[in-house]
Amino acid sequence: MGFGVSGSTAVIFLGVLIASGTLYTAAAGSAEQITDARDGKGEDLLDRRNTDLEITKTVYNQSTDVLELNVTNTGTTTLSVNGTSLLVDNDYVTPDTTSVDGGGSTDVWGAGDVLVVTATNNSTPDRVTVVAENGVAASNSTIEVS
Amino acid sequence: MADVSVPSLILFIASIVIAAGVAGVLIDTVTGISGSLDDRGADVAENIRTDIEIISSSEPDVYNASEGTVTLYVKNTGRQTLPATGQTFDVIVDAQYRANVSVAVAGDASADEWAPHDVVEVTINDLNLDDGDHRVTLVVDGDEEVFRFNL
Repeated sequence: MGFGVSGSTAVIFLGVLIASGTLYTAAAGSAEQITDARDGKGEDLLDRRNTDLEITKTVYNQSTDVLELNVTNTGTTTLSVNGTSLLVDNDYVTPDTTSVDGGGSTDVWGAGDVLVVTATNNSTPDRVTVVAENGVAASNSTIEVS
Repeated sequence: MADVSVPSLILFIASIVIAAGVAGVLIDTVTGISGSLDDRGADVAENIRTDIEIISSSEPDVYNASEGTVTLYVKNTGRQTLPATGQTFDVIVDAQYRANVSVAVAGDASADEWAPHDVVEVTINDLNLDDGDHRVTLVVDGDEEVFRFNL
């Protein structure tokens, strides 16, 4: 009997050991994934709170149908030019050209920099909206017509 | 001596077999729980990484009365690339679930992936809205966005 008890105890102990090993690995893996995701979300939230845009100038040229916008990054987050979206009269428009402080090929739109966007539009727009990569938007209904 | 050791041996083997059975069931159950925990962790992490924003302005022109459609632009402000199909969205208009939803990536209609920073055009079909206030709710991976407009 003595060997039977100690033998079965050893087998059950081994089983508990293997089971807790498996459970710990899974729990730690899950917790790490969730912590990573929360960290990322927290960083994005901080970036979003530090983001602010202002449309400083909107000019529509009636003869060439070109709309030109000057948007200033008045926050402290460096934004992506390609991640920025333009809505003209509530319709998505792909910009023709973009430049930041005169440089045409950059994707970096730093704090204090002015992004110049041009787009073609058939009529004088009533309202333009610029949305940064993280969803912060600026809107302007005062359009200069030249 | 043989009289004592044979039953002892039988009891010994029986106890080891029962213990092995118990340990086997324990390991099997815990492995199942671990698998579910792993999947759940991945799902929760995906939900946390997903974030969307409706960027359309709240104007009556989002509704096209002749075609019976509402068109909204939605930006992926999270870190997760999502499929650009109607199945990605759960759409509720004025407390009614709408299944006839088409989705196209703005600026690249042939793309079937909705990457971070990209905008999709969500068209909700088969609508017949009266004048007054309306409410559209979009749910993507647990992230809920509400859009209200007046006709």
